[in-house]
Amino acid sequence: MKAKPLSQDPGSKRYAYRINKEENRKELKHVKIDESTLVQEGQKIDLPKKRYYRQRAHSNPFSDHQLEYPVSPQDMDWSKLYPYYKNAENGDMIKKVTIADIGCGFGGLMIDLSPAFPDDLILGMEIRVQVTNYVEDRIIALRNNTASRHGFQNINVLRGNAMKFLPNFFGKGQLSKMFFCFPDPHFKQRKHKARIITNTLLSEYAYVLKEGGIVYTITDVKDLHEWMVKHLEEHPLFKRLSKEWEENDKCVEIMRNATEEGKKVERKKGDKFVACFIRLPTPTIL
Amino acid sequence: MTIIHPLQNTLTSRDGSLVFAIIKNCILGFKYQSINHWEYVGKWTDNFDKTQEVKKDIVKEQQGQNSEIENENKNKKLKSNKGDSIAKTEVKVPSPGIGAPPIYSYIRNLRFTPDESRLIACADSDKSVLIFDVDKTSKDNVLRLTKRFSFPKRPNAISIAEDGATVTVADKFGDVYSIDINSNPEEKFTQEPILGHVSMLTDVHMIKDSDGHQFIISSDRDEHIKISHYPQCFIVDKWLFGHKHFVSSICCDKDYLLLSAGGDDKIFAWNWKTGENLYTFDYSNLIKPYLNDQHLAPPRFQNEDNDIIEFAVSKIVKLENLPFVAFFVEATKCIIVLELSEKLRGNLAFKQIITFPYNVISLSAQKNELQVTLDNKNSSDVQNNFAKFIQYNSNDRKFVVNDEKSNNFDNTIIKSVKGDSNLDTKEEDTYPLYNISSLRKHGEHYS
Repeated sequence: MKAKPLSQDPGSKRYAYRINKEENRKELKHVKIDESTLVQEGQKIDLPKKRYYRQRAHSNPFSDHQLEYPVSPQDMDWSKLYPYYKNAENGDMIKKVTIADIGCGFGGLMIDLSPAFPDDLILGMEIRVQVTNYVEDRIIALRNNTASRHGFQNINVLRGNAMKFLPNFFGKGQLSKMFFCFPDPHFKQRKHKARIITNTLLSEYAYVLKEGGIVYTITDVKDLHEWMVKHLEEHPLFKRLSKEWEENDKCVEIMRNATEEGKKVERKKGDKFVACFIRLPTPTIL
Repeated sequence: MTIIHPLQNTLTSRDGSLVFAIIKNCILGFKYQSINHWEYVGKWTDNFDKTQEVKKDIVKEQQGQNSEIENENKNKKLKSNKGDSIAKTEVKVPSPGIGAPPIYSYIRNLRFTPDESRLIACADSDKSVLIFDVDKTSKDNVLRLTKRFSFPKRPNAISIAEDGATVTVADKFGDVYSIDINSNPEEKFTQEPILGHVSMLTDVHMIKDSDGHQFIISSDRDEHIKISHYPQCFIVDKWLFGHKHFVSSICCDKDYLLLSAGGDDKIFAWNWKTGENLYTFDYSNLIKPYLNDQHLAPPRFQNEDNDIIEFAVSKIVKLENLPFVAFFVEATKCIIVLELSEKLRGNLAFKQIITFPYNVISLSAQKNELQVTLDNKNSSDVQNNFAKFIQYNSNDRKFVVNDEKSNNFDNTIIKSVKGDSNLDTKEEDTYPLYNISSLRKHGEHYS
């Protein structure tokens, strides 16, 4: 008989860890953490350990996953993700999500963006279950451990398929920044439709981005970089920003250095290709 | 027993004089002369030899692989250790194994150009859009194939603009292409899609608003109905949100009314200009008496009590001249007619259920007539009930099947094609006629 994977073996350390964290998530995920709700003053939650969240590196964006997504952007209850920004009187959200990290991976980018953009709500979308769990646990721990200064209340993560369901979450012109950091390269010709940047998907990104909004891309694969630049440059609603602009933008700086993939590339002394694009005004309808 | 294969779909000209019917890979033409006089006026069969195409692809791929191997060999040694040169590795040609699913060559999506001088259809064999000239005066063959545009993925739905030249093609892989049917088909397909979904597309419509702006409305398996501008297809106008299951069929008109249906137990009415959901009509109780074993969920998604039922609307149509909408649920013996009581507000009210001896497999509408085709493979010795023509009787305000017209049509079919080995089939060998319910998502992939 084939041995069960460690994650499903009740005797394994990984199994115990995951169960424990899952209970923790259930309890703390949607709770507005402040000093009064801390079980014991000053009790710290350990940051999650990546080794317990291993899973396959890729997920097929075309298959039917068990996903939760709202029927429409109006149906989305954001207060569960950002309880700190809920108006206690009428239950409405004080702010809307304006920055999206598509394929946020282990969440390093968001964690650095959080203090840099304290007035924005930042959402990471990730399709892999365990990776999403890791980011959730990481945010729970960070929020808990910085409760006195309300840290990291403006970031959160969703398990989702952004290629299919982005418009279910965001309305027209809602976003000001979208990040595509180290996306899956899908080298094979016939898998190019699975790439996160295609000319047909760019029209949907243009819909959720406001005029003047920015698309950030970074990759260590030259071929993919050229592909993304080609498609974004060809799209009538995007225009590439200059090298000078990139050098003066704090997000580019964070993107180069904060993401887990970015650090890995750094360790391996690989190249990092950056390209940023501005969402142009919608032209007159013919 | 050999029978004539059931009709998979029909298309009627605006004046009702010409009816095209699909059987397998054939289009048959019938002329309506009077209530008891139909004429068989032509047949076109898709004889495209797919094996040639497959061979071409394999050879191309082999060349690619061989050159890769050669490149590798240049870097490595060209001789083995013993000193003799290494033979080129032969690339295997795949052949379907025993038990491989049979390949069916459907004709789909019959459409007339606005002036009805041409007929457009899709062929599965080479994933193409076919353009025919229609010669209504011809006695023996009204159809003449003039062009064949082949696509990288199978076209699932097509729509024709008012200009009669622009055709939008929505494929199974989620991309929408636009072609000018007056242009010449390219040998090798090079066009980029004009818009796309990351999902299987189920329907597409081109439509103009009162200011003359054109739109493309596309629906998919992931509950989306997307409205994009045309020709600036890169500008998404809006989505219509509300479906909780796949959308299979939409119909829309110039007065901004759009009706959509699919895996939900509701029919949705929208104003496609404002995006407002005007009305939803729940048909689940109406359809209950007509559900059967075919509506039990597939075994691997079934529960222990074996009582999960799944049903879906296959097609929804609107009559052009009357305030009525008709739809049918896959694998049922009825169509349901709803009345649009206040059109601008999209109010839908139950009007009538029309039942038939066999399951409905297609539904179409023309002016004030509905046409259905039936899965009549189990009919008695003399095969009948191929199709039904249903008309509105303004005296008693009911839809009634025109039996005489329908029976004569059945007889004409038997008379015209009986013994045509191409159109014959064994009962158990009919083409799959129920494809809609398989679009339902069950979220089986977890990681």
